[in-house]
Amino acid sequence: MQKLNKKDDKQSGSERVLVIGGGVGGIRAALDLAESRRDVLLIDKSYSIGGLMTQLDRTFPTNNCDLCTVSPFLSASGRERYLDIKPMTRIEELTGQAGNFTATLVTEPRYIDIDKCTGCGECVQKFPEAVRFTPGLDPRAPTCMRYPQATPYAFSIDMAKVEDISQIQKVCKADAILSHDEVQKTRIKVGSVVLSVGAELFDPSVLDNYGGGQCQNIVTGLEYERIMSASGPFQGSLVRVSDNKQPKKIAWIQCVGSRGINEADVPYCSGVCCMYALKEAMVTKERFEEDIETTIFYMDMRTHGKDYERYFNRAKDEYKVRMIRSRPHSIIENSSTKDLSITYALEEEAVQKTEDFDMVVLSTGFRAGKDATDLASKLGIDLNEHNFAKTDHFNSVKTSRPGVYVCGVYESPKDIPETMVQASAAALMASANLPVICADEKIEDFFPRERDVTGQEVKLGVFVCDCGIDIGGVVDVGKLIDYVKTNSDVAVAKAVGHGCSAESMAQIESLILEHGVNRVVIGGCSPRTHESKFQDLLRRVGLNRYLVEIVNLRDQNTWAHRGQPRQAQEKACKLLQIGISGVRKNRPLMENTLPMSQNALVIGGGVTGMTSALKLADQGILTYIIERAPALGGLARSIRKTIEGEDVGAFVARLVEKVMAHENIHVMTRSIVVDHSGMPGLFKTGIQTGLRMNYMSIDHGVTILATGALANRPGEYGLGTLDGVVTQLELDFMLEDDTEKIAAMDQVVMIQCVGSREENNPNCSRICCQAAMKNALRIKQINPETQVFVLYRDIRTYGFQEDYYREARNLGVKFVRYSLNTKPLVTQEDGRFYVRVYDFILGQKIEIEADCLALSTGLVADDETTEDLAMMFHLPRTLDHYFLEEHVKLRPVDMAVRGVFIAGTIHSPKTIRESVTQALAAAGRAQTLLAKKEINLGAAVVRVDKDKCASCLVCVRACPFDIPFINADGYSQIDPDKCQGCGVCAADCPAKAIQLLTYEDDQILAKLDGLFERVN
Amino acid sequence: MENYEPEIVAFCCHYCAYTAADMAGSKRISYPANVKIIRVPCTGKVDAIHIMKALEKGADGVYVAGCLEGDCHFKTGNARARLRVARVQKILEDLGWEKERVAMINMSAGMGERFAKTAFEFTEKIKSLGPNPISQGKIEVQAVS
Amino acid sequence: MITAEQKPMQEIIQYLAPYSKILLVGCNECVTVCAAGGRKEVGLLASALHLNSLKQGKTIDIKEITLERQCDPEYVEELTSYIDAADAVLSMSCGCGVQTIATRFKQAHVYPAVNTKFMGASLSQGVWAERCQGCGDCMLGITAGICPVSRCSKSLLNGPCGGTSNGQCEIGPETDCAWRLIWERLKELGIEGRYEALVDAKDWRPAGGAGPRKIIREDLAL
Repeated sequence: MQKLNKKDDKQSGSERVLVIGGGVGGIRAALDLAESRRDVLLIDKSYSIGGLMTQLDRTFPTNNCDLCTVSPFLSASGRERYLDIKPMTRIEELTGQAGNFTATLVTEPRYIDIDKCTGCGECVQKFPEAVRFTPGLDPRAPTCMRYPQATPYAFSIDMAKVEDISQIQKVCKADAILSHDEVQKTRIKVGSVVLSVGAELFDPSVLDNYGGGQCQNIVTGLEYERIMSASGPFQGSLVRVSDNKQPKKIAWIQCVGSRGINEADVPYCSGVCCMYALKEAMVTKERFEEDIETTIFYMDMRTHGKDYERYFNRAKDEYKVRMIRSRPHSIIENSSTKDLSITYALEEEAVQKTEDFDMVVLSTGFRAGKDATDLASKLGIDLNEHNFAKTDHFNSVKTSRPGVYVCGVYESPKDIPETMVQASAAALMASANLPVICADEKIEDFFPRERDVTGQEVKLGVFVCDCGIDIGGVVDVGKLIDYVKTNSDVAVAKAVGHGCSAESMAQIESLILEHGVNRVVIGGCSPRTHESKFQDLLRRVGLNRYLVEIVNLRDQNTWAHRGQPRQAQEKACKLLQIGISGVRKNRPLMENTLPMSQNALVIGGGVTGMTSALKLADQGILTYIIERAPALGGLARSIRKTIEGEDVGAFVARLVEKVMAHENIHVMTRSIVVDHSGMPGLFKTGIQTGLRMNYMSIDHGVTILATGALANRPGEYGLGTLDGVVTQLELDFMLEDDTEKIAAMDQVVMIQCVGSREENNPNCSRICCQAAMKNALRIKQINPETQVFVLYRDIRTYGFQEDYYREARNLGVKFVRYSLNTKPLVTQEDGRFYVRVYDFILGQKIEIEADCLALSTGLVADDETTEDLAMMFHLPRTLDHYFLEEHVKLRPVDMAVRGVFIAGTIHSPKTIRESVTQALAAAGRAQTLLAKKEINLGAAVVRVDKDKCASCLVCVRACPFDIPFINADGYSQIDPDKCQGCGVCAADCPAKAIQLLTYEDDQILAKLDGLFERVN
Repeated sequence: MENYEPEIVAFCCHYCAYTAADMAGSKRISYPANVKIIRVPCTGKVDAIHIMKALEKGADGVYVAGCLEGDCHFKTGNARARLRVARVQKILEDLGWEKERVAMINMSAGMGERFAKTAFEFTEKIKSLGPNPISQGKIEVQAVS
Repeated sequence: MITAEQKPMQEIIQYLAPYSKILLVGCNECVTVCAAGGRKEVGLLASALHLNSLKQGKTIDIKEITLERQCDPEYVEELTSYIDAADAVLSMSCGCGVQTIATRFKQAHVYPAVNTKFMGASLSQGVWAERCQGCGDCMLGITAGICPVSRCSKSLLNGPCGGTSNGQCEIGPETDCAWRLIWERLKELGIEGRYEALVDAKDWRPAGGAGPRKIIREDLAL
């Protein structure tokens, strides 16, 4: 683990935040806190961080490979100087109160000195039994790291499975194995706590009707992920466990252990299983196309997330994933073929069917296990009836104990983007009352002044690790040094044992200084893991960090070619020569920084915008709220009650009052944005404000867009033409203001998905099913005799909303399913409605008479507003005109333009509670940027030679991020603060006017020279 | 030229192919030592000239290895790379060279096996094509002089 | 912009067969923009030529240089210091550049590496289409901004011929009938009446019919 001279006196301060759980949520929270310059300790009970996500093959809805998405993210957590990581650690006790907690931590023995371990894997080669167990199908990969990008990059030994530790010690060339290691108990002061411990996955082996855990070809969703995963037990080949043959026919069964009333079941919905089953089926289809048949058995297809309905449609229409609406009764295994027979009943047919499959995947969901309840009692926080953390009605990250916050699945079942949102929200809440650490202290202060090497003759220092036997056991390092010395500009070349050990690093430092070295080559392991370590070494000796080249002698040579030492020796020489020839061309590069504006601009004065603004203002940030309406409040003013029964009006009124009274908030109503310029940290936005539309310009460092969405009002089923047809929002008002009218009603019909999930608006509006439940339950409360019919396509009461669905059914609310081609017909006679719809269960058309028709119309994007803002702020939108975040999985509130964040229904339809969470997350993310006080423009960016530029527009068109433009002087300008460093423009430029720093053409060509001209 | 050992340059993107190569190593999966990797941030950085220069300097084969199609860390870099490889193949054809000496390969970071397998297959292919025609030129000249 | 495309490799190779010292000259104007002869193409062609000669066991010396604009004598003057060392000059600019070099350096063996194609516009990255034939008497003002001279296969001036089929030209379905485009745009602009106006027979002398053309601006002459 890297620590830059971290001061030990901070360890005892109660200004720290303790983050418990190192899954993606915990990592995000810890990184956010560290980036906003709060001292953080991240603990995880496992031996490396990463959690559940690192076990997935691919993630929806992008179907991307996870490892490449997560790994930069994880190594980032190793780089933050405000962040400490303690793996194999759990919390025992939390005493005191918010701002002054004392946490008792218990660290299990690893029996390995992480500082010495090089991650060579030699111990595991010889002692595979010491491998730690990984949930699901044990990959038993040749390393006992969970995945190759594991952080920390080190092993752990399971002492219970070791007979003689001295035997293992013998194979460890790094001398990293400890025969004695003890459980350590430490007590630390912390100011606040973030919980992100996740949940367990349901173990379906208790279900006898689904094989009782005895059938090899019945796997859980996670096990299927491991089978498909490139780092999994079958190296990514899809095979049946029973016979290692590729299956031809796979079935997924949804809601296994969820949404049920049986003993083993939980009543709630796990929220993610529909999507992961679709993903697994699609990825399977992508790989095998016609060779494989995929079938999903489901109850309701719950694709309520952003753009998820389109994903579902793609699965059905493009990938031909077969969808069967049924909860299968049982699975029977054929004892000889190990094939599986599924017995199921179709809604529209009375008979049961049986069908054979090669493999069955059980979509199991989240469970709060015993660990969760134990943790809650140790921390003294309340749990809800499902044993998940109980949180505030309007703040989903606030637990019952002040100062303790929660994110991710420990709060409720949810997917990764929602976890990320909550993580950033929890980080913000946890940091609220904690001071920023040493804000004025620059990292540069730790390092001596950089030596100017420009114009100096190249003096090379080449240091080659033997990495124990990992390099030295395959190639002759001494001969490599002899070879290296044939380069006349090598001032010093030396074998350095374990180059990454503290001892060797010190030796390298003194050799560099002694010989006046100005370019360094390290022959060792992969630059992916060790480049930054050696870059920091250079900084310590006053050299620019870009003057080092890491030659991958281990991972890409001695490990791969250890059976052919002669070839490995020859290749090692060539690789070293590539590095030597390349590093000669390396130039010192500056990472430019600019001071940034500390103001924030929040566009939109609804609940979301107000929440974000308040949190930023509380941190002392001058915040502007721009609202086009005459008053604050937004769409929430047209909602009276939440499904939990909370008074929305009172909540909004409290928010408005706080915002208006806050000294750091400038509210500007009747205001619109008219122009925008600048760059992240230094934005300038022009607005027109007030009745006279006066122009004013605002300087700000960050922007939060929260202009919301619009209540949809499609002209269907008589809405707007027939008297008495209302939307759920209007019914919500009637339920508060006109209870007598409601009480007098005999029958009420609700129609779901009105104007959603159709061709012109294909996505799900997410909020309507819970709105229908909320209003149906209130009708029943006012008059239990009133009959309520809900005509639906799929009921999408995800997570704990399922409780309200169940309650509605228990109270006699009737649910009648319709499909897109059997939409209900509505007529009105003498003020009464007649709704005709085909009932699949009865197999005939039914007619329902109703006093009131309530339509669940949901939300649509505010096309006009998002289009204007998208143009002015250069931001992408989705096909549905919502804003498109930078990374739908991992960065759900960040936009592609740094410093711009989105929250609330401008992102996608969501409930008030969800919008508030996102508002907190956006404020949190904005705060991390502002905390830096200055913008680091990086160094690996492109540079344009304006004299060569032919202003041909190729770079403008080729850039994947739309950064280049032809400036007023007629040449291409590529802002270094926006450049992502891919180099596509540099390679496409027909005038060769663009160079990507650190990968310039002469550097690449020099490497080729090294390979061919020197060695051959 | 029996049993000659070709020199092969692989331009590998940092996020996928380079990581896959590391992974092949960490799993101790063997592949021909002929392959020498040059790391680039994205295959979108690999210019047609880099490939040509590698051949000119003596490489017997050159391949560009990037993320899976659609998975590029930089959105479209690997798609650009594929087109540039095709351009170089066209030039080679025009010169009467085997266009198979250059190739585009895709893999994800987790695919250590695929890295090794493609390295092996590409090396075999280049072995079957024989050495870079430049070296044949050199030999002919030696024979004449 | 003037567009160009690289000549077939074998043609270039044949031109250069007798020479061993080549001055390869690119141009940073039109041919850079249409990716036929800018700094990058110069590099690629040089590399290809090296490969070709190395295969034959020869080495050729190629000096790469890309001028700001090959059709101006002042820029071409920059070649002075290299020209004597070269057996031949290979120009990657349009025909104007090749001739400017040939005019300036009387002794030089100059060869074109590209075929100059047409005056065109960029439709999207990598796609250029002919938009002007330099007829010297522009009639875009009466044809709704669509040129019948360059975009009608027959350069008809008074409506389409009988060969138009489903709005496409008879030479191939990938070519729009220019007169269909003109008619549609006239309608869009609400000035379809102009379609009826007859255009007199065109005087093709300004288009080159009276021999090579020249522009002389006495006010600018020094």
